[in-house]
Amino acid sequence: MPAQSLFEAPVADTDQVFLDVQGVKKYFGGVKALDGVSFSLKQGEVHALVGENGAGKSTLIKILSGVYSFDSGNISLENTSYQPESPQEAKARGIQVVHQEFNLLEHLSIAENISIERLPRNKYGLLNKGEMNRRAREALDAIGLTDIDVRVPVGSLGIAHRQLIEIARALQSKSQILILDEPTATLTERETKRLFKIIAAIKSEGVTVVFVSHHLDEVFAICDRVTVFRNGKTVATDKISHMTPEGVVQRMVGRHLEAGTRQHTDKQTFGPVALQIDAMRTMQNTGDTGISLNLHYGEIVGIAGLVGSGRSEILRGIFGIDPIHSGTVYRDGEEVNFKGPQDAIKAGIGFVTEDRKDEGLILDMPIAANTSLVNIHELSKTGLIQFTEENRQARESGSRLKLKYGKTADPASSLSGGNQQKVVLAKWLACNPKVLLLDEPTRGVDVGAKAEIYSILKDLAQEGVALLVVSSEMPELMTLADRIVVLAEHAIQGELKPSEFSEENILKLAYGQAQPGEGHTS
Amino acid sequence: MTIQTGDEVAQASGNFSIRTVLHNAGIGLALLALILFFSIFTEHFLTANNITNILTQVTINLILAVGMTFVILIGGIDLSVGSVMAFASVIAGKAITLAGLGPFEAIVLAVIAATAVGVVCGAINGTITARWSLPSFIITLGMLNIARGAALQASNAQTIYSFPLAFEDFGSAMFYGVPVVFMVALALVFIAWFILNFTVFGRLLYGIGNNEEAVRLAGHSVYRYKIAAFTICGLTAGIAAVVYMARLNISSPIAGIGFELNAIAAVIIGGTSLNGGRGSVIGTLIGAFIIGVLANGLILIGLSDFMRQMITGVVIIIAVILDYYRAKYTRR
Repeated sequence: MPAQSLFEAPVADTDQVFLDVQGVKKYFGGVKALDGVSFSLKQGEVHALVGENGAGKSTLIKILSGVYSFDSGNISLENTSYQPESPQEAKARGIQVVHQEFNLLEHLSIAENISIERLPRNKYGLLNKGEMNRRAREALDAIGLTDIDVRVPVGSLGIAHRQLIEIARALQSKSQILILDEPTATLTERETKRLFKIIAAIKSEGVTVVFVSHHLDEVFAICDRVTVFRNGKTVATDKISHMTPEGVVQRMVGRHLEAGTRQHTDKQTFGPVALQIDAMRTMQNTGDTGISLNLHYGEIVGIAGLVGSGRSEILRGIFGIDPIHSGTVYRDGEEVNFKGPQDAIKAGIGFVTEDRKDEGLILDMPIAANTSLVNIHELSKTGLIQFTEENRQARESGSRLKLKYGKTADPASSLSGGNQQKVVLAKWLACNPKVLLLDEPTRGVDVGAKAEIYSILKDLAQEGVALLVVSSEMPELMTLADRIVVLAEHAIQGELKPSEFSEENILKLAYGQAQPGEGHTS
Repeated sequence: MTIQTGDEVAQASGNFSIRTVLHNAGIGLALLALILFFSIFTEHFLTANNITNILTQVTINLILAVGMTFVILIGGIDLSVGSVMAFASVIAGKAITLAGLGPFEAIVLAVIAATAVGVVCGAINGTITARWSLPSFIITLGMLNIARGAALQASNAQTIYSFPLAFEDFGSAMFYGVPVVFMVALALVFIAWFILNFTVFGRLLYGIGNNEEAVRLAGHSVYRYKIAAFTICGLTAGIAAVVYMARLNISSPIAGIGFELNAIAAVIIGGTSLNGGRGSVIGTLIGAFIIGVLANGLILIGLSDFMRQMITGVVIIIAVILDYYRAKYTRR
C-alpha cells in the first residue's frame, strides 16, 4: 500500500536542488565503500535513505558531515562545491547529523550539552549560565519539549529523550540539512510519533531532513522521496508515492533475487535436539515473548535480522555472558543454568564471537597461545604449559583450517583478517564443541577465506556438531543454513526452509512485512 | 614435563619473544652505560664495598617490584605496598618479641605473620577490585591509608626493637660479598619469571592484561586470576617486611613511605606497560638496578639527594616515552 505522506503539503514544487551528490566514490584501502553514489536533496523535503547494512548509507552520511573525505565524484551545496574537511566545516555550512550512537555527555546538564559547541561567555570570559539555560530552553521549546528542566543532567533522561536532546542540539545551530541516522531505533511507538511531529515542524520551517531508517513503514509515513542503496551504489531515487514497500525491498536486494547458492532438500534428517531454548529473554530483550528455538545435532540454523533485532543477544544469553531474565535453556534435554562462559564450555558449547579484536583474539600473543586459550588447562594438566603440545595443536589446526601463517610463535596480529578469524575458530575447535555458536563468522574476511570457513562449518555439521549462526550477510546464511530464523525487535518473525530461502523472504520478515497481521503494524 | 629444545621454548613461550629480548637488551644496555659512566667518573663506584652497598639498597625495592609486576601486567596498580610492608613488619615485630619464644620459633613466627598480613591485604585489594570492577588505583590508595593507620595503631606509633640475634645475622649475612637478602630477592625474580613464562597462570595473566574479555569468554575465571595477582603483590610486601626487619633490626610503623612509587618506577623503567599485557620481570630486575645505580652513583659523583630525585624522575618519564615509541613500532 503506497502509504500517504503524513504531510498534506507536498514538497515545494520548485524542484530547487539544494544538495547534489554525483558519482561519489570512496575506498578504504582496497575496499569499496561507496561505488558511485548519486542523489539530490530539495529544500524542505524529507528524504529517506534505505539499504541493507553495509550498503553505504553511513559512509555517505560521514562524508556529508565531514568525517570522511571522498575519492572521486562531486558534491555541490547550493550550487557551490562542497568538500568538508572537518565536522566543524560541515556544521558551518548548515549540515547537522544526529548519529546512531549518542554523543551526549551524561554528567553534564541538558543546557550544557546543547551549548557544548559554543558555550556562551560573559564579559569576564566566564561561562554565562543564564544565557546558556535560556538558549537551551529555546531549543527544547522549539521541538516541543516544554516540560523538561534544562538544568538536569542528561544521564537522568531516558533514551528517547536523549535522542530528542540530540535533535534539539543539532537544530539549535542554524541547520539547512538535518540528517537523522536511525533515529527511531530506540524509540517506542509513542515517542516515534512525537519525533514525526517534530520532523514535520522542522520541515515546515524549510529545513531539509534526511531520514535513515530500517523501518519502511516509517519511511512511507513521513518521507517525500526515497533513495535506495545497494552495495555502495544508489540504485533508485523516486517520490515515495511512486514506490511500494515491496518495490523498495526488491531494489535493496537487487533485481535478480537468487534463491541461495545451495539448494537443500527440505527434508533432511538430523540428530536429536542438542540445544533448546524456551521463551528466553535477556536484559537487552525488550520484547515480551522471548525467544524459543530448537537446535539439532548436525544442523546449521541461521539467525537473520537487522542490526539491533536481538540476534547476538540470543547467543550471549545461551553462552552465559548476559544473565537470562526469564525462560529456560536445555542442553541435551536437561535444563541448564550457566553462570558464565566456563559453564557453557563445560557443557560442550563454543562461541565464535563477533568482534575478533575485542572478544576473540589476544592480538599480541602468539598464534599458538591463541589457539590454546580455551583448552589450555586440558593441554597443560600440571599447570605448566606444554609448549610442544601447544605447538602441535596450533600446527594441526592450522593445516586443518588451511591457515596461512609464518610461525606458530608469530603474534596473531601478524595475520590477515580471514586468518585471524580461523584462529578464533581453531581456538574453539580445540575443545571439540558439540554445539557451536557463531556471530558474524566471516565479517571482514575475504572471499576465498569465506568459502574455506563455510566448508569447515559444513564439515562440522556433517560430523554431528550443532551450529547456530548469526549473520548480516544473507547469502552466507542461505549457503550455510538448514533453516533460517528471522528476528525483528527481539522476537522471531518466522522461519524459512531451504526451499523458501531468498533475500526477499528474509527481508520481508526482517522488516516485519511478511503477512498482514504479523510483525509490527502501525 | 616433556623435554623441549631451547628453540621451541623460546618460540612458544617467549612472551613476545624477540620483542622482549630486544627491549631487555635495550634497557640492559642503558644499565651498562650507567655503570660504565659511574665507573669512569667516580673512584669508589666499582669497588667491592660499593657493589655490596648497591645490592643491599636494591633488595627491598626489587622484592616489591616483583609483586608489582604481576599487578601491572594485568593492567592494575598497587599503591599500598609501602604501607602494607610497614603494617606487616609491625605485626611481625610484635610476634617476634613475644615473651617466651626461642630465637628460631620467633623468626618462624615473624615470617609467617608478615607474609600473612601481606597476603590478606593483597587479597582484599584484589577481591574488591575484581568483584566490583573498580579501579585498583583508588582501592589500593584506600588500602595505603588503612594499612598505615593499622600499623600506627597496632604499634602505638612506637618503633619495635630487640629482635633475636639470629634474625639480625640473616639480615647482614654475606655470601662472597653478596648479601643473602639480595639472593632472596633474586630467587623471587627467578620464581616470578618461571611463573610468568611457563605456567598457565602466567600465560593467562598476560592474556588478561591484553584482552580481558577474550580470556573471560574463553571460559577462564578472570576474577580469580586478578585476585591472585594482587595477592602475590601483597605477599612480596610481606617478604619485604621481613627483609626490612632483618636488615635494620627494627619494626617501624612509618617504614616504607613512598616505596610503592619506587617499585612502580622499577617496573615501568623495566618496560612493563602500564596498560598491562606487555613486559617481563627480567625488565623489572634491570629497572630496579637502574634506579639503584643512579641513586648510588649520583651521590658518589657529588650530587645532592634532591638532584638524585629529580634525575630519577626524568628517567621514569624517558622510560615511558620510549615505551610509547616501542609500542608504536613493534605493532603492525
